[in-house]
This record gives sequence, structure tokens and C-alpha cells, in this order.
Amino acid sequence: MNPEVPNPNRVLVIDDSESIHKLVIARLRPEGLEVFGEVDGERGIERAVADQPDLVLLDIGLPNVDGFEVCRRLKEHPATRGIPVIFLTGTADTESKVRGLDLGAVDYVTKPFDQVELRARVRAALRAKRLQDILEQQSHLDGLTGLWNRRYLDQRLESELNVARRYGRPLSLVLVDVDHFKRVNDDHGHLFGDIVLQGIAEGLRAYARRSDIVARYGGEEFAILLTDTNLRSAMYVSERLRSSAENRHFEARTEIVSVTASFGVSCTEDLAAELTPEALLKAADLALYASKDAGRNCVHLYRSGELLLATGNPNALGSESGEGR
Amino acid sequence: MGSIRSTYESDPDMLEIVREFAAELPSRITKLEAHLAAGELRELQTLAHQLKGAGGGYGFPQITELAASLESALKQGAAAPVVKDRASALCELLRAVVVPEAR
Repeated sequence: MNPEVPNPNRVLVIDDSESIHKLVIARLRPEGLEVFGEVDGERGIERAVADQPDLVLLDIGLPNVDGFEVCRRLKEHPATRGIPVIFLTGTADTESKVRGLDLGAVDYVTKPFDQVELRARVRAALRAKRLQDILEQQSHLDGLTGLWNRRYLDQRLESELNVARRYGRPLSLVLVDVDHFKRVNDDHGHLFGDIVLQGIAEGLRAYARRSDIVARYGGEEFAILLTDTNLRSAMYVSERLRSSAENRHFEARTEIVSVTASFGVSCTEDLAAELTPEALLKAADLALYASKDAGRNCVHLYRSGELLLATGNPNALGSESGEGR
Repeated sequence: MGSIRSTYESDPDMLEIVREFAAELPSRITKLEAHLAAGELRELQTLAHQLKGAGGGYGFPQITELAASLESALKQGAAAPVVKDRASALCELLRAVVVPEAR
């Protein structure tokens, strides 16, 4: 779930002439791109939605659905809106160019195209796309810790809850709050407080599983979404995270400081209420408060209205058998 | 008319697809003539449009030029003899294209 390494860029050519597909493939070869084509507008749109290319080269004079309409629909569809479109136009008239650009295309190339110009325009469009992708990803990241931010977690919570409901899969949520964080700030300054938050974040990321979505939820609070995970498994993960936080040490000017964190865990299988983001968050929050009340540095579980102290011992969950991942 | 060769024959990236393009021209000529004979002007215009877009890219700027002239006659609804003349000129040019040897 961490920022991914980019793959080679992929370009979709929508043009009714196979000769143009072959020409574009040959001319873009030096760029090391993956180029694939469709000869029909409808098929082209479907392909763009399914295969998520980084760029669409779009002919205007397509049979049936013309290039303008294809562009309009690509820009309307949430899954393809962000993909840049360059028109490949046989007609060099100003009206067509303006219409295409106003529909959201980033550029146009007139056919027959000059190979050097085509490559330069493709490179420019892909550069802009890369920046746009980075911006989009950064708008989902927390600046201090590099974890996902609250907005992203809320979005994922909503969509993962839909998946959990539809397929009857368990989804767990862990809320984490650093203990006595105000004291850390007061004693050692805010800069040191930031270092502590970064360290805790690093520990959460390192000790969570690859599929877990780890976010800074605000201030000194973190949230972790565990897909396909029941309460028992979430308890084990939380216990591991708790002990990793406890064992981490921070060097202040004159002393070594260690901090602890309190944990609250909820799971879709163990809610007394309807499956909503609010209900899952509220249950985890109640469990977190139970951990604070119990003296901090511990994990509590919310199970159907009950708040249970987890010890890392399976007996804490009663006599049920069977273990999740 | 003398023989017409692609200006990209010596480009190794292009040779194979130029060969394919040139080898397909006879079937395009057949289609052009059939549409012309049947008075299927829309189909004729599509063919002209495609040849205009592809010709220059394959190293045949003359194809782009004559195909554009045919397309614009059709677009403007020119008289039948004008369309016929321009289509014939295009077909004659296409017949003169030489398929380059494979290397």
C-alpha cells in the first residue's frame, strides 16, 4: 500500500486505421513505451477504463462515435478523467483543434505527423501526467510521517466496508493514540514531539502487514485498516504494534525517552450496530478509551458491546477456536 | 508515371511496416475503384481520409497530397467528373508504389 514504483508508460491509440497504429508503434519505439490500439470509439473507451493507459492518442474521424464524443466521455468517466488525450487529427482546421482542446485534450498532432514532433508531444504529455499522479498521491499522504492521511483512510474505510459487506469478509480497524504525548512535547519541545511521531509511524508501518492501511488520523492518533482480518487476528497485529512502540527509544538532548501507545480494536463481525464507517470508528474509539482508562500501553477490543482487555493470549477472547490470518 | 518509393525505406524501424503498407495498396485500389463505380461517396471519402493520414507517415507525401485533394472534392460535393479524375489520379499513383525488398 506504499507509493509504488512506476511501470513503463502505456499508450492507447484509438484510430480506425490499422496503418496508423503500426506507424505510431514504430515511431514511439525509441521511447520505450507500451503501445496498444483500438479501431473503434466504443471499444477504445472500454479499453481505457479497463487498462488505464497513461496517455490516449485519439483520432477525430472515427466511424460511429467520433473522436470528440470519445474525448467527452473519457473526461466524464471518473476512471479515465485523469488520462491525458492527444488528438491525432487529419484535419488541421482551427475549429477542430479548439473544440478538441476545450473538450479536455492536452494537445493535438496533425496527420501525417512528424515523428520527432510526435515523440516530443507524447513525452510532454507523459511528464505532466507523472506530476499529476504525484500530486494526487501526495494529497493522500501525511506530510510529517509519510503515512496515508485521514482523508485517504476515510475513503478507503468507506470502500473497504462495501467490499466487506458484499462478500461477507471481516474488516478490522485499529485506533492508536500515543500516551502522554502532551508531556513529551512540554518536556522536550515540539520538534522532538515530531521525531517521536515519525518514529512511531515508522514502527507501525514496519510491523503492520503489507495489506494493512496505516494512516495518521490526526495529532498523535493513528488508524490502521486491516482488510480480510477478524478481531482475533487484529488483536495479534495490535499487540505486535504496541510492543514495537514500547521498545522504541528516542534520544533527547540529555536523556533517552521512550513512549507507549494505547490501542482500540473493532471488527465488522463484532459490531452490535449496523456496518457503517461511523459505527466501526466509534467501537474502536470506545476500546481505545478503555485502554486509556486501564492505565494506557495496552490493547482493548470491542466485541458486541463488551470491551475486553487483550493480552496477546488467545484466551482473552474466550473459548472460541479457529484462527484467522 | 515512374516508380514511387518510400522515403523511409532505409529506416530499419520503418522498413517492415512500409513493406506491409505498400503490399496492401492493391487491395485499397480495388476498394477505391469499387466505391467509385458504385457511387459510394462516403466510403470513398473514408478511404481517402485514411490514405491522407497514413501516406506521408509511411514516406509517401504524394499519397497524402492526392488523397487530400480527393477528400476535399468529396467534402465539398464536387461534380462527379472532378471526383472521378482525382480518384483515378490517386489510383494511378498507388499503382506506381514499389514494395521495398526485405533486408
